Formats: sequence, C-alpha cells, structure tokens
Amino acid sequence: MLQIQNLHAAYGKVEVLHGISVAVPKGKVVTLIGSNGAGKTTTMRAVSGMIKPVSGNISLNGKNITGMTSSRIARAGLAHSPEGRRVFATLSVTDNLLLGAFPRLTFGRERGDVQGDLARVFELFPRLRERADQLAGTLSGGEQQMLAMGRALMLNPDVLLLDEPSMGLAPLLVKEVFRIIRELKERGITMLLVEQFAAAALNVADYGYVLENGRISVHGPAEQLKNDPAVKAAYLGAAH
Amino acid sequence: MEILAQLIVSGIALGMIYALIAFGYQLTFATSSTLNFGQGEALMLGALVGLTLVGHMNYWLMIPVVMVFGALQGVFVERVGVLPTLKTKSEFGWIMTTISLAIIFKNVAENIWGHDDLTFPSPLPTAPLQFFGIRVLPMEILVVVGALAIMLAVEIFNRKSIYGKAVVATSNDRDAAGLMGINTGMVITFSYALSSMTAAFAGVLVAPLTLTGATMGAVLGLKAFAVAIIGGLNSGMGVIVGGLILGIAETTTGYYISTGYKDVPGLLLLLLVLAIKPAGMFGKSVIKKV
Repeated sequence: MLQIQNLHAAYGKVEVLHGISVAVPKGKVVTLIGSNGAGKTTTMRAVSGMIKPVSGNISLNGKNITGMTSSRIARAGLAHSPEGRRVFATLSVTDNLLLGAFPRLTFGRERGDVQGDLARVFELFPRLRERADQLAGTLSGGEQQMLAMGRALMLNPDVLLLDEPSMGLAPLLVKEVFRIIRELKERGITMLLVEQFAAAALNVADYGYVLENGRISVHGPAEQLKNDPAVKAAYLGAAH
Repeated sequence: MEILAQLIVSGIALGMIYALIAFGYQLTFATSSTLNFGQGEALMLGALVGLTLVGHMNYWLMIPVVMVFGALQGVFVERVGVLPTLKTKSEFGWIMTTISLAIIFKNVAENIWGHDDLTFPSPLPTAPLQFFGIRVLPMEILVVVGALAIMLAVEIFNRKSIYGKAVVATSNDRDAAGLMGINTGMVITFSYALSSMTAAFAGVLVAPLTLTGATMGAVLGLKAFAVAIIGGLNSGMGVIVGGLILGIAETTTGYYISTGYKDVPGLLLLLLVLAIKPAGMFGKSVIKKV
C-alpha cells in the first residue's frame, strides 16, 4: 500500500533522515517509534509532501508520489493528521471536518457518501458532535486531537498517517485515543502511527520500526519488538 | 449642524472607497501574509480601462468587464511579482516587486491615457438629492451600496462555499490546508485576483466622483493602507469603521480647519493606533494553543 524506500530528507543543509525504508501493507497498522529528534515527524512530513525529500522513493498504491505537493498526495488518498493537531482555529468543527473531505467535494477524489462519513465521524467522536458549531480554536487539546483525526478520516483515505496523537494529553485521554486507533484498525484502515508511548503503540500495531538518529535500527512484528531486550531497555522502560 | 451632517455624509462615501481598497489589502494578507502595494494602481487601471470601455458600452455592462480585467491584472501581479519571492522564501522581496510593478503600471497608463486628468461620465444623474437639507449625490449612494455589496459577497462566499472555506483554511494554516488536498498556491493566486478585482471595481465606482488619471491611485492606495492598519489587517469590520473614520475626518478637517490639513487626522490616528494597539482597532492578536 505505502512503500518508503531509502528515504533521505533534510532541513536546509542538515540531513535528518539517512535512507530509511518502511512498508505499510494494506489493512495493517505500522508504528514508528523512537526518541525525540530521531526523525519520526520528519518521515511523516516527507511522506505527505510537507517537505520535499532529498532522495528516495515513496509510492502509494503503486503510484510514485515522491516530491509531489501535499495537496496532490492528499488527492491520491493519503491523509495526515499532523503533529500539533493544526486544526483550523477560526472555522467550526463541522467546517474543519468538511475540509478534510475537500478533494471529495471538489472532484479531486471519488465523492462517495460525505454526509454519511460525517455522521460516522461524529459517532466515533461524540464530543465533536456536541461541539459541531463551535470554532475549533475554542476546543480543548484533547478535542482538537479528536478533530484532527476525524478530519483526516474524512478524506476516506487509503493510508492514514497519525503523528503523535497522544501528545500533550491527559492519561485518560491518551487511553481514549488508543481505543479509537484500535477501533479504526478493526474497520480495516491502513495506518502509519508515530508515537512516543512505544508500549501502547506496539500493543495496537502489527509491525514496528525503531528509528534512531535518522536510521532504522530494528524492525519486526510488534510482538517480537515488545520482547526485544534492546527495544525494551531503550523505549519500553519504566518511565512511561 | 446641517453642515456637519453634510460633511459626514460626504465623508461616508469617501470612507467606503478607502474601506473597499483596504479590504483588498486584507484579502492577500490573509492567505499569503503579503500585500499588493500596487492596490492603488489596480484601482487606477480599472478606472481608466472603464473610461475607455464606457465610450463603447453601457456603464453597467462595463463593470463586469472591468472586474474581469482587474482579476487578470491581479493574477499577473501575483505570478510575476509575488510568487517568485514566496518560492525563494524572500521575506520582503514582495514589497519591492509590488511597488515596482505599481510604478510600471502607472507609467504604462501615462503613456496610454496621457498625463492629464480625464472626466468620467456619471452613469447616474449628477443633480444631488435632498434629504432633510443634506445633499447626497446619487453616485455617492452607489459607492456605499456597491462597496458593501462586494464585501458581503466575498464574506458569504467564504462562509458558505467549500472553496471559500478552503481560502479561510489557507489563511489559518497553509501547511495544514495543503494536507487537506487544497492547492494553496492557487488559493493565493485567487486572493490576488479577488483583491485587484475589488480595487478595479472601486476604481469605476469612484471615478465619476473624482478626476480619472494615471496618478489617481497612489494617494488612494496609501490612505487605504492606513485604513487597513487602523482597522486591523484581519478584521472585515475594522476596515469599514477605519475607512469611515478616515473619510469623515478628512471632510470635516478640510472644512473646519483647512483643506491643506485634511490628511493630518488620519495619519495622527495611524500613529496612535500603531503606538497603542498595533494589531489595529479591531485586529485580533492570534493566540496559538500548544
């Protein structure tokens, strides 16, 4: 479904990713774990076209999307719920969600049942239904995270990128976020998940990659990574 | 008292023109954080093209043609002047390029239409109407109605249509808008088209009330810039109130003190606003949640 091969990415002259390869098969949840500054978010940004990769190859459904603009990649079927949520503060919750379906509403992508999907997102996130007419900027951090995820789902994406969905949330909300990720997985949505809560991420994921200083150090089935002594020591320690 | 009322009424028509041009500044600032300093020249070109067209067609038919011309002129400014500076991430390049293009437009206009001011035939009767002893030109009413109508139309477009919401999303967060599949480069080009279109429209509205010529844009563009700053670069209400304050301040100062001083109160107000509330009277300071 989503194939990343030998991806190099840089900010200015500073190279952050030194050739990483990740595969996200259809219907699977793949997680990318690693410490701060390892390059997790950069990988996400390079895949969705927020930054241009230096070299490497990214393909979605067999279609080469390397170096395309983010708007074209979105229309090709990749949704990205970015780090920091980035909701449209001066627009209502409903408008934010509708904008997630922008390509579908403007002939950029098969239209399908937009209103039905809107209802399904409200079902998944009842809090958003309560706040449907409220401006997104007035929502709490947790609600904004729900909105960012719901907005990405509105694309009806082939692949969903979730970058740090638990960041800055209270423990109860973190649990809620992971419950929703699990539910999305049951619905068969293909996901690439970036998380600092490595243990929780590996619990929900099928496959995991560990990113260290811009390189993949270990990868394997999530079960196997959970029991890997090195991974355990570095990422699954008592701190979380 | 009657004189004061008369001055206020005249000031309102003038102020709405300032507001309309200032509104154009806001449109491009919202999407790209850049301003077209040739806004006054877009107005001037609109007025002069309109004047040429009016010799061949009806005033009302001419308006949409001039608006299309204005939109194309805006696209030209964005593609030639602004886009290259956005691409190279030049922080202030667009200031120089839009000013340069404005000068070029002015010189081209001088070569085509000459240096002298021309009279624009009024489409409405030039005899003033009387309301309780206050005289109002029919054209002044058209200015106010026309300016409000176009601002309202843009506002409705932004609130109701998915394309308008895409424009608002781009002004909120350009990167995130791109992730929604919105071609944000196109949105910025569109905002320039819309901005120059409103200026050209303002040009044909104001032309019958003033003299029309290559130099008419510079002062109007500058004053409207002051209005945009006074009202706030992100407040629709702000430019209307700012425009009216400036327009009324000019007519009253011109009458009670001296026409030589009529520009002073507006500039004083500009200094005051910058000193006390730099975001503008109605400007919202952006609060980011982390």
